[in-house]
Order: sequence, then C-alpha cells, then structure tokens
Amino acid sequence: MNNKKLLHKTTNSFLMYAVIILMTAAPVFYYICQWLYIYETDEVLLFHKGDFIKQSHQNYTADDIAAWNKYNQNITIVADMGVRKDSIVGKMLFEPEANEEEPFRILYAPVDINGKRYTYIEKRNLVEMEGMVFSVAAMFLFIIMILLTGIIWISKRLAATIWKPFYNTLSQIQDFEIDKNNPPHFISTDIDEFYRLNKSLERLIEKNTAIYKSQREFVENAAHELQTPLALFQTKIDTLQQLDLTREQSELVTSLNNDVSRINRLNKNLLLLSKIDNGIYPEQEIIVLNDYIEKHLDFFTEQAQPKNLTITTNLSNTLSIKGNKALAEVLLNNLFLNAIRHNVKNGVIEIVTEDSALKFINTGPEIPLTEQTIFNRFSKVNPSSQGNGLGLAIIKKICDISHWDIRYSFNNNLHIFELTF
Amino acid sequence: MRREDGLENKIQKISYTDRFYSVFLQNSFVNCNMKILIIEDEREIAQSIQAYFKTNGIQCETAENYNLSLTKIDSYDYDCILLDLMLPDGDGFDILKELKSKNKTEGVIIISAKENLETRLEGFNLGADDFLTKPFHLAELLVRMQALIRRKNFKGSNSIVFNEIVVEIFSKTVTVNDTKLDLTKKELDLLLFLIGNENKVLSKSAIAEHLSGDMADMLDNHDFIYAHIKNLKKKLTQAGSGDYIKTIYGLGYKWENE
Repeated sequence: MNNKKLLHKTTNSFLMYAVIILMTAAPVFYYICQWLYIYETDEVLLFHKGDFIKQSHQNYTADDIAAWNKYNQNITIVADMGVRKDSIVGKMLFEPEANEEEPFRILYAPVDINGKRYTYIEKRNLVEMEGMVFSVAAMFLFIIMILLTGIIWISKRLAATIWKPFYNTLSQIQDFEIDKNNPPHFISTDIDEFYRLNKSLERLIEKNTAIYKSQREFVENAAHELQTPLALFQTKIDTLQQLDLTREQSELVTSLNNDVSRINRLNKNLLLLSKIDNGIYPEQEIIVLNDYIEKHLDFFTEQAQPKNLTITTNLSNTLSIKGNKALAEVLLNNLFLNAIRHNVKNGVIEIVTEDSALKFINTGPEIPLTEQTIFNRFSKVNPSSQGNGLGLAIIKKICDISHWDIRYSFNNNLHIFELTF
Repeated sequence: MRREDGLENKIQKISYTDRFYSVFLQNSFVNCNMKILIIEDEREIAQSIQAYFKTNGIQCETAENYNLSLTKIDSYDYDCILLDLMLPDGDGFDILKELKSKNKTEGVIIISAKENLETRLEGFNLGADDFLTKPFHLAELLVRMQALIRRKNFKGSNSIVFNEIVVEIFSKTVTVNDTKLDLTKKELDLLLFLIGNENKVLSKSAIAEHLSGDMADMLDNHDFIYAHIKNLKKKLTQAGSGDYIKTIYGLGYKWENE
C-alpha cells in the first residue's frame, strides 16, 4: 500500500501549482519587462528627435552640424541615407568604455535642415536594462521562496489544527470494537464536515451497538427460556421411563434421554458463550493450571476409560497464569474432553506444560483439521459426532478475552492444541 | 457450566456435602411421613414431581403462584419447599424473605431456569438450602431433597439402612452384614443415589450427571458409569448383599428389593 496522507496530497498539489505558475510567469515577466523598457526607450528616442526639430535646429549650417556631431556622442546628423520615415532598430555595438559589445536602440529619422535632407541618428544604450532584469529575477526568486515556505508552513499548521478532530475520530474508530464496551468519545469541532462525520458515526455506532446488544441478550434470553420446556421434557421422560415399557419403547426412551441431554448441553454452551460475550466473568486471579489438571486427572481418566485411552502428563513446568478461574477451568475441561471425544480406541493423550505454554497432544483421525475453521461455532468435522460444535468456539472465545493464544497443528499423526499465555 | 468463580466453589461444596447426606433413613419412616410444597408455575413440572415422589411415599402439595404459596406456608408446616424463582405474580426471593420473617424452618430447594452466580448467592443469603437448575432429573431432585430433610431433622441418627446394607453418612462407611466394604467416593455416591431412588428406573444420563457434578454439562458420553455400576455390584454381592441393582435393558438401572 502506497497511501499518502490526505494532507500531503493537498499540499503537494498546491506546491506543484505554485511552482508551475511561477516558472511560467518568470520568462513571461522577463519579456514583458524587456518589451516595456524597449518601448519606453523608443518613446524617448522619438521625443528627442521631435525636440531636435522643435528647437529650430533647421537653421543649422553645415558647420553647425559638424560641431553638433563633434559634441554629441549619441546624436549624429549625417547626409541623407535614404530614410523615408522614422525607423528604430536594435543592434549590438562596440562600447569602448566597457570594451565589449552592448545592446543599443538606434533611431533613423529624416530631417530637413536649411532645405537640405539629412538623416538623424540617435542611439541609446540598453545596458541598464540587464541590471534591472537581474534585480527583478532576484526579487522573483525571493518571492517564490517566501511563498513556498509560507504554503508549507501554513499547511503544516493546518494539519495540526484543522485535521486534528479528523485524525482523532480516525484513531478512535480504529480502536473501536463492537463487543467491547468502549464507545468512542469524539472531540468537539467547529468544522461542519467533521461535526457531521462525528455525529453520523456516533449514531451508526450507537445503533449497531444496540442491535448487537439485543442480539446478544436474545441468545442469552432464548437459552434461558429454553430451560423450562427442557425441564418439562426431562421430567416427563423421567416419569415415562418408570412405566412398564417394552424393549422397543425402552430404546426410544433412551434415545429421547440422549437427545434431551444433548439439547441441554447445547443450550448450556450457548448460554456460556453469551455470558462470556456479555462480560460477566471479570474477576481475575492467579491460577495454577498444574493443580487443576492434577486434581481432575482422575475424572478425565474415568471419562477416557471406555475408549481405553492412555493419558500421560508431563507437568514439570508450573504454569501460573492470571485470568478468570471459572473460564480457565472451562477451557481446560473442554480441551481435555475434546482430546477424549475425538480420540480413537486405545489412543493416547499427552499433556505437557512448557515455559508459558500448555499442550494437549492426542491421537485421532489421521487427517489434519483445518485451523481456519475449527474454532468457528458449529463447525463440526464429523457431523455425526455427539459434540455440539461449540467446544472449540468456547475455547477460542475464552482465549480471546483472556489474551491467550490457541493454536492447532498436526504432526506425526498427532493432533496438537497449544495454549500460550 | 455451573462453575462461575471462586465463590462458586463454596456453593459447590455445600451441594457436594448434600450428596453425601444423600439419603435419609430410606423407605422406613422418613419418606412416608414427608410432606413437601412445590411452588412452581409450570403445572406439568409440578405434577411430574408429585407423581414421581408419590410412589416413594412423599406427599406433595403444589402452589402455582405467589399468593397461594404464602397462604399454604402460613397454614401448614412442610418438611421441604421446592421453590421456582419466577412466579407469575411475584418473586421467589420474596417467599424466602417471608419464610425468614415468620421464623419458618422449612428447608428450601430453589429450582430455577435462571442460572447465574448472583441468583445463587442471593438465594443462599436469603436462606435457601440448595439450588437446582432446570432442566434436572427427578432422581437428582429426590436425593437432594432427602439429603436436605435429613440434615434438617437430624436427631443423632446418621445411618441409612437398607436390609443388610448400612451406610454411615458421617464416617462414609458401608457395611454389609457388619462386613466393612471398601468403596471409592464415586461408588459410595452411586450407592446413595441408587438407594435414594429405590424402585425407580434411573437413566444412564441421570446417574452420570449425578456422579460428575458440575462437569455434567460437558459430558457427551455416559458410558463411564458402567465401570462404577459393575464394581459396586461386585463389591456388594461379594460381601454377601442381595443383588439389588437391576439392569433395565436399554434404559439404565434400578435399585429394587428382591
């Protein structure tokens, strides 16, 4: 991703525009100055000529003209060169004082003195103009620099002030999580667009949080409400099985019994998930996982008996972690029962504690599970299994809210669930 | 999941102790004279409990609302009250308060669909003796109730006698014709559960859930009880007891006098 900041984008465009305008303006400015200067020079030349005629220089004799020519460096009267009307040309002439060629404007004009036609020639040095152009250019550069630093400085300042509420909003939205109870608090702003943005976001978040909350409560309420019909169901089955049943009827009642306890388990798990979602397990304490595992090993060994599983433990590292005790126990129970449930006959379960990790390693079907989906709710590898597809989702949820990490891997035909703290 | 946090353990301990007191002087005199009140707005649940308990000689009265419950509590003394917390015209907790204010000593078992730590704690604080979450097995309710009444009526006797079998509750010993049996904790628990539900067909799930306590909600396989049943049966018969544990094909087990 090569994303630029909004501010850089606008500043860059401004800078680009300014530079282009100034760059193109510079030569144009130069030529206009030059043209103006030449125009003014030409005006002066024509003015001088008009003055010459007005001063009645028509009365000059040939000697006067020679004398004029002798004392006037810039204006010379020469014999008619065939000039019909005033004409001005630009020419490079050698300037002895500067010892180099310099630009001149030269006026050729016909004048009549004592009835004889002469040509009036006046030249003016343009060298002063070069100096002026240099000063203009220097000034121009100076202005460009002031302008550019001004633009950069102002836009930087704008970043700090005008965009502040925007970036504040942005970072709050980034941190926002709908399942955590931390609604964003946008800072107030006097910029209409940002104000509207904040208001819309607030409304959006409020509405979605409300929907999310009612959805969560719905799950919890639904699960609670189901308890009563389940109780009816259960008590009636209990009553039914006291009757004198035929073999066929007994089998039906047994399977009903299994069904109701399955629904019950599912319901309890849904209730647990929604309770975790609703954050009713806030208490944190230090839990020694080894103690819990050792204490309940008998129970799980008993559960593993029908499959004749061998459970080995290597609990040499003491795992003392901080978290909610009830949830940690649910987590361990689920991991343990998971390893039993998905095991094969005469399989093994190995529980290993490491520095800050706990591993449940078990035999099972010799195909790896897909890590991406196993932790999803109701994702069942074996659709006919008695599990309700919530066990791993609960494990994941507990890890998420406790900031632990659960990973699955498949190695040497062994399924490994690794919990890191 | 029944466990909710550290405090929960305390509650669990209370109900675990109950299980050890599970049965009170079986079938001889206690059950016969027992009279309990079922406060439950679901009429059919109340009826099921009533029917199940009746065959064990327990007399049940029912009340499906708050006002009727108060009237009945005022008029009679019960051995035990089964209390649903959500009633159409009132709160079950108010009934507990009422009992307390009238210095009534009835044992109370809350049976509620609502299950969370706060409800439990409040129930216990208001004087309830046990808490059972719906749905429950009738067999479980029966032994919990027997245990409760046993504790309430305790008058020095602490043994359960079934023919040649004697269970000493406090010392947790079982003798058959004065021969001491070496039972595991689970086997003792199972024995008390079976005797307490004499003549009742107990499903595997009811037994499994009773034996696994707060882990019950997670178990999807109840086969582990076979081993316990088998061992208990063997130990009892080897000690010369009658074979009271009957296997009901497909369904489960039944404790039955031969």
